Amino acid sequence: MKKARNDQFFSNLEKFVNKVYPNQPQRQPYLSLKSWPSPRDEAWKFSRLGKLARKNILPLNLENQQDFSINKLIKDSISLVFVNGKFEKKLSDKLLSEIVIEEVQIEDFKDIIKKFDNLSVKNHPTLNSTLSCSQKFFKIKFKNDIKFYKPIEIFNLGGSENTSIHPFIFIDLEKNADAQVFQHYSTYAGLLAPFEIINLSENSNLEIIKIYDDKINSHNLSLTLSVIKEEANLRSFALIKGGEFTRSEMHTLLEGEYSNADINGIYLSSGNQHHDLTSCVYHNVPNCKSSQIVKGVLGEESTAVFQGKVRVEKLAQKTEAKQMSRAIMLSDKAVSNSKPELEIYADDVICGHGATVGELDEDQIFYLSSRGISKQKSKVILIDAFLNEMISLSISDKFHDIIYNETKTKINKLLANEYE
Amino acid sequence: MPILEIKNAELSIDNKKILKGLSLSVNEGETHAIMGPNGSGKSTLSYMLAGRDGYELDNGSITFDNIDLTLLSPDERSNLGLFLAFQYPVELPGVSSTNFLREIFNSRKKYLGENELSHLDFIKYLRKVAENLSIKDEMLKRYVNFGFSGGEKKRFEILQMALLNPKISVLDETDSGLDVDALKIVSEGVNNLKDKKNAVVVITHYQRLLDYIKPDIVHIMSDGKIIKSGDADLALYVEKNGYSEILNEKS
Repeated sequence: MKKARNDQFFSNLEKFVNKVYPNQPQRQPYLSLKSWPSPRDEAWKFSRLGKLARKNILPLNLENQQDFSINKLIKDSISLVFVNGKFEKKLSDKLLSEIVIEEVQIEDFKDIIKKFDNLSVKNHPTLNSTLSCSQKFFKIKFKNDIKFYKPIEIFNLGGSENTSIHPFIFIDLEKNADAQVFQHYSTYAGLLAPFEIINLSENSNLEIIKIYDDKINSHNLSLTLSVIKEEANLRSFALIKGGEFTRSEMHTLLEGEYSNADINGIYLSSGNQHHDLTSCVYHNVPNCKSSQIVKGVLGEESTAVFQGKVRVEKLAQKTEAKQMSRAIMLSDKAVSNSKPELEIYADDVICGHGATVGELDEDQIFYLSSRGISKQKSKVILIDAFLNEMISLSISDKFHDIIYNETKTKINKLLANEYE
Repeated sequence: MPILEIKNAELSIDNKKILKGLSLSVNEGETHAIMGPNGSGKSTLSYMLAGRDGYELDNGSITFDNIDLTLLSPDERSNLGLFLAFQYPVELPGVSSTNFLREIFNSRKKYLGENELSHLDFIKYLRKVAENLSIKDEMLKRYVNFGFSGGEKKRFEILQMALLNPKISVLDETDSGLDVDALKIVSEGVNNLKDKKNAVVVITHYQRLLDYIKPDIVHIMSDGKIIKSGDADLALYVEKNGYSEILNEKS
């Protein structure tokens, strides 16, 4: 039988895994995926992988290592550095005793994956490729009751145009633990396939901020599965600005009552970039809240997608779920797609969703101009305001300015190119 | 020497003629009132002066301090010293009021070749000006016009006017939506800013605002033109007898 053109990566992967990990049968099941998702697959309809499929990519051989330096966003943070998907202890800071980083086996988190019993998770290329070929599986554990106010910054670095890298991290908060984690994706990889699992035990709180800023030829297919127990709280924020193609996909399962998940994000897209925020929140128990709020600014010929799904099971009464997407188009060649889905089987719930796409508001520009501010400056002010509101809503005050500054260069670039 | 001179202004929107040969001349130190029924073109006049896109003249001229205004963008007109107090001030969610005020204040200072104020000095100055308009600190911490009441929005317009210190201010229906107390505060604010070097044009439906802001000259506008001008008594006459008599007299 003739192989489809996009099988190449997966046969490379199989050869790689059989050669490098010949005695690890637990990896074998994840080699059963043989091709990239096709555009006929509903979950990938707006984010097509044709270009990735045509790339000639090999999983990275970990032998060749270069030196890397990191730029922390937070002065007193604790850094954990992954180069080419491999944890580099010597580049990382020392952890405190309340936080443990340890190697785990697939068996140790298999049950969590099983909870996400749907095809878009099961057949996700990141889940399959990363579980089959990631060198080691690491877990960061925040112990019981830890109230830890030094953020952790995880840096994903390395890669090259013709290689893929596969970092795996399991973030595990024990009961009553509090943690703040920054994830930086700044690689040169042809494909970056970061797979994350988040487990929030009873009454724990995690704020996680992901900054996607890979180099311009990169495809980033990030996948995160989170399970949230009673009275636990997940605050997730994604800032997507880099790469040729970046998809941040999060599946969040609320399985303890009175828990909360905010899965928010901003994308800033220029040139031919494609950015995708895909999020599914599953309300399985009563009295939980969730929000999926996404804002974007698109220039030139960029494209972006927001796919937000909320599923409320019959049992999950008193659910409050909010979903909203807003995009500002700076170019008439840019394209924004929004696909909100509500699947509600309970009857006593509050679920709201809305989507808007448009240019900057002419009335607002005129108002600012009439006060002596140039049209160009007015646009900067309005985009800043659009993003500022979102940042304030989504993350802790102490990180506000840091994240705002992270948007600044990209916004200036977007507005400069508008006038070329 | 007039600061503002409009000659035979004609303007259409969506191919419909709205201004049909409007002329108006405003000198330094004067306060003018423009009154007229709905649909007479009053708000079109204010947008035309401020330079809104789509409100360009078909015919006629506007000069401001001898400069042809029609060639300038809204921000350039503002920097020259033209101010429009909006009938419906625009909400800017996400834009902090204090930052916005500082931005417009410094941009005018820069244009005038004067020193910009440091953040701290500006805050001190702003507090003083705001207090005169009964604007509390709390309001300045909110987003521009966002969730402001009608009265707060109008006071915020006058606050901007005070900070920009314009040569000519056009107040578009500034009295609409104000109760008597708010009307007094706003009018006092305007009167305090008035001097021999600047001018005010008040656009209004009703005479009541003119009890507080005394006009030197009152114009009656109808069907895109000024059809009658007179002193403050003309406004009282309209209040008593309505517009119809003047309109009939014209036709």
